[in-house]
Amino acid sequence: MDYKTIMCDILVVGAGGAGCRAAIEAAANNLDVIMLSKELLGKAHTAMAEGGLNVSLGNVDPDDNPETHFKDTISGGNYINNQKLAEILVEQAAQRIFDLEDMGAVFDRTPEGKIAQRTFGKQSWRRTAYASDRTGSEIMVTLTEAIRKTSVRVFDEVFATKLLITNGKISGVCAVDLKYGDYLVFRAKSVVMATGGAGRIFSVTSNAQLDVGDGYGMAYEAGCELIDMEMIQFHPTGMVKPESAKGRLVTEAVRGEGGILLNNKGERFMNRYYPEVMELAGRDQVARSIMTEVLEGRGSPDGGAYLSIAHLPKSIVEFRLESMIEQFEDAGIDIREEPMQVSPTAHHFMGGIKTDEDAGTIIPGLFASGECTGGLHGGNRLGGNALADTQVYGAISGESAAKYAKSVSHLGVDRKTITQEFERIESMLNRKDGISPADARSELTELMWEKVQIFRKEEDMQFAVNELRRIEKEVVPNIKVDVPVKRFNPGWHQAMEFVNMVLTARMVAEAAVMRKGSRGAHYRVDADPNDKGYYNIVIKKGKDGKMEMQKDDLVITKITPP
Amino acid sequence: MTKTIKTSVLRYNPDSDDQPYLQDFDVEYEPGMTVLDVLLYIQDKFDSSLAFRWECRGGQCGSCAVRVNKTARVACRTKVEPDEDLVLEPLEKMPVIKDLVNDMAQVTYRLRRIRPYVARDKKPVHPEIIHSEQIEKLREIRKCIECSACLSNCPIVHETWDYPGPMIIRQIARLELDPRDVEDRVAMAMNEAVYSCTTCKMCEDICPKSIKIPALAVELLRAKAVEAGYPLDPGQQAFLDEVNKTGRSVTVKDTPLLEDLGTEEFLVDNPRGRVGFFTGCLIDYRMQSTGKALIDVLNRNHIDVIVPKEQWCCASPAFRTGDLNTGRDSARRVTEIFEKAVEKYNFDTVVVACAGCGKTLREDHYPLIEEERGTPPTYKVYDLAEYMLDVIGKENIVPPKGEINLKITYHEPCHLGRGQGVVDQPIELLKLIPGVEYIDDPMKDRCCGAGGGVRAGYRELSQQIANTRKEYIEETGADMVTTECPFCTIQLNDMMKGTEMKVRYIPDLLAESYKKGDE
Repeated sequence: MDYKTIMCDILVVGAGGAGCRAAIEAAANNLDVIMLSKELLGKAHTAMAEGGLNVSLGNVDPDDNPETHFKDTISGGNYINNQKLAEILVEQAAQRIFDLEDMGAVFDRTPEGKIAQRTFGKQSWRRTAYASDRTGSEIMVTLTEAIRKTSVRVFDEVFATKLLITNGKISGVCAVDLKYGDYLVFRAKSVVMATGGAGRIFSVTSNAQLDVGDGYGMAYEAGCELIDMEMIQFHPTGMVKPESAKGRLVTEAVRGEGGILLNNKGERFMNRYYPEVMELAGRDQVARSIMTEVLEGRGSPDGGAYLSIAHLPKSIVEFRLESMIEQFEDAGIDIREEPMQVSPTAHHFMGGIKTDEDAGTIIPGLFASGECTGGLHGGNRLGGNALADTQVYGAISGESAAKYAKSVSHLGVDRKTITQEFERIESMLNRKDGISPADARSELTELMWEKVQIFRKEEDMQFAVNELRRIEKEVVPNIKVDVPVKRFNPGWHQAMEFVNMVLTARMVAEAAVMRKGSRGAHYRVDADPNDKGYYNIVIKKGKDGKMEMQKDDLVITKITPP
Repeated sequence: MTKTIKTSVLRYNPDSDDQPYLQDFDVEYEPGMTVLDVLLYIQDKFDSSLAFRWECRGGQCGSCAVRVNKTARVACRTKVEPDEDLVLEPLEKMPVIKDLVNDMAQVTYRLRRIRPYVARDKKPVHPEIIHSEQIEKLREIRKCIECSACLSNCPIVHETWDYPGPMIIRQIARLELDPRDVEDRVAMAMNEAVYSCTTCKMCEDICPKSIKIPALAVELLRAKAVEAGYPLDPGQQAFLDEVNKTGRSVTVKDTPLLEDLGTEEFLVDNPRGRVGFFTGCLIDYRMQSTGKALIDVLNRNHIDVIVPKEQWCCASPAFRTGDLNTGRDSARRVTEIFEKAVEKYNFDTVVVACAGCGKTLREDHYPLIEEERGTPPTYKVYDLAEYMLDVIGKENIVPPKGEINLKITYHEPCHLGRGQGVVDQPIELLKLIPGVEYIDDPMKDRCCGAGGGVRAGYRELSQQIANTRKEYIEETGADMVTTECPFCTIQLNDMMKGTEMKVRYIPDLLAESYKKGDE
């Protein structure tokens, strides 16, 4: 099995908000940095984030401060967040948004010329900094500009498939060049995982096609601990129509700017569920409210609720929600005049690779940041905290990886493991009979959407677990690529991703079964009232190769759960 | 019954294929379907190895640009028409990796050359105070998602990478507009051949974010260059000097139309309308017979035509090259002349026979005059074909009777089609002429290379662009190419020298048919 070996000091896997930020930070240490990007540089899912970035600058509401941001984050997270991580987030967010401005970001301004801030769900003050409703795009463009100023070597359309471990420490990564199908080994002194989430394991999702959980799968196989995998945020407002746009994000900024939710009787139904905060209740709460309306027959014709912003002055909608206007125009709706139809869509993984305050994992030399990590957001992530997460922990992971890389030399790599890995990937091309990745994928995503959804119950989830175990045993080893071509072959790419999707889905479902009570985004219709849920579930691959799960105590610094 | 869309996809795997080839697929149509949906359908149902890029499906990431029926588009935001066949090809200019996937390395190299980031010479103090007004213009051109679609159909990039293309020129303007950036981006724009752009607006049409790149980037940088004291090319400057001196951009050769006409009034019995006629420089000084033809066509359709004796250049060459002083002066004069005529002769519509002039009156004069005095000019501006079809109405047009038995194609002037939204009307006019066999040119909206000061200042580049255009026109197999702009007509005549292809201006042809019908 032929492969090429490429050397670097630090390897960053992933090129979204966190990956780019990590690479920039690492490169500032006079080290050779390579950033792998599964997509073209700048096309990562971060660009799709719309509403904004939380930072308690107090530019609009002067009483805001990191302390309040912390409280909102913990109560919003249903008290199971890692409070050490949350403290760092709220402390460092301000410096990181200034970094973005230094790099050239253009945020919208207050009348005094400072960064403007808007209302978002579950926040005590107007805290969310923004660039219209294309904040993620603004950040992604800025980071792309900044990367082009650095010495970072970007390998785009290169897909990492396996973390290489030598004597328990990180030593490199196996990867496939998607453009030409070459096998590559990257040897690095330290590695940062910034691989994003896995919304695509659900059939309805706001996520880009690349968000399939590669990082969760790879980290699990390498021996990392993963935390809170059952905690999936269903964003309450995804598009319903047309079919091809189903699940596409309708930003929380619509509600932040004053949008209201209505059922088919024209009632502002949030009044029934959360009268104090109405549309700005937690994302999990709003999602459940919408689904309750739908299940009880008060939904819109296409199975959602109405979201209306038509009562606001057109100029405000045009200035602050320009992408929404465009997005619904494509669907034939003028949101300045008529309501949108919305329903929940799989959006964000609160869970992920377990990291410490230095963004370190339990594997020496392996760091992680962004959505692929878990613990920071607890049971529910506040809108605007994810972009903040990418910048704060992106920078920390880059700095930690640099510090580590300076203290060690390259380790050797196990060439037998490498050969086996590439043989595994090659075999998908050579198989004569088997299951097509497209079929396998739709079976999996439908299963997850049906059985491990917003309203969860034991028998559904147990069914999903059994199915996933079967898929892992019967389907994964039999994935077959229709056309055995290595040069840019999307069928092959899907096949390579599938194993990660199954692993991720299994972690989600198994943890969800283990958590018997309701907490945050994990809502059981058959909740055990005795299970208050003040613990984290940590998953790890056991010595025997079986998935091991345990309940860990919460990491608490300031706020004791009620 | 479900409709199927015949979709041809350009397939190519350089490992195994010597040449790219088109492969046809039948795709089941669904309402609201996008080109991305079509590609995913093919990948799902027929061939999972079909290579194309996509990520967000929401017009936010800029991965999925392909050529859709010859024009680059972002696939996820391009709706499919149920009755139209689809031809999907990779972007032009960038080499192909496989099928619809281009190698974007050239774009990255080209981008890096302009140091595409905010350059600073000292550490900023936090918080940085930046006022909304300072970033208002910047905000607009900041929406770019780097899909590279505009590079594909740019007629200048097609000829040379000396010009970095719309997306990258836009980035230079974005940095020039950023109060924090300390580099001399105007000098950089000069070095990056900002004067190569013909302002054809193809990029604006293609842009999924509708960024007005020619106006907000190219012309902005040119105006800043002029302000900074960079001289225009002598070829361009000569026209502007002429405008300032005489009110015409070209010098007199034969008796000008306005002198020759002798009267301002061309009135008919029982008129159904009355218009003013803005001749523009070329019709007045170079194409006098065309001017008369136009008056004749309008009169025959029972329209009074008023031709003010003293007219002034619209100063399109000044606006396009960044000489805003000349531009403003002309806008004021033109407005004054026609507002006087409007009052004296009681009409409210001005017909313009030149695409460049019409666009300048609409896009430059209107906002400028409105900004200066609070109200825009009192008259409406129409292109001739637009006036005939949209105001007179097809059913009321006096049918031309003289047969013209030719295969005729149409060249759409950039400043008419994309400049003023006049696309079908000239073709409708053509089709009214008996004997005409209209042949559609799928590349009819490709720039001829004359505009934006390029013919005046950069003749060689202009000719290269023209030669590419020529190939497309000749591919139609027509006997004659027609257009609706004197400037394009001149460029087309040059381009077709030594060939059999005839070149005509549509009102001329229409007048000819009327005359023939009289006999």
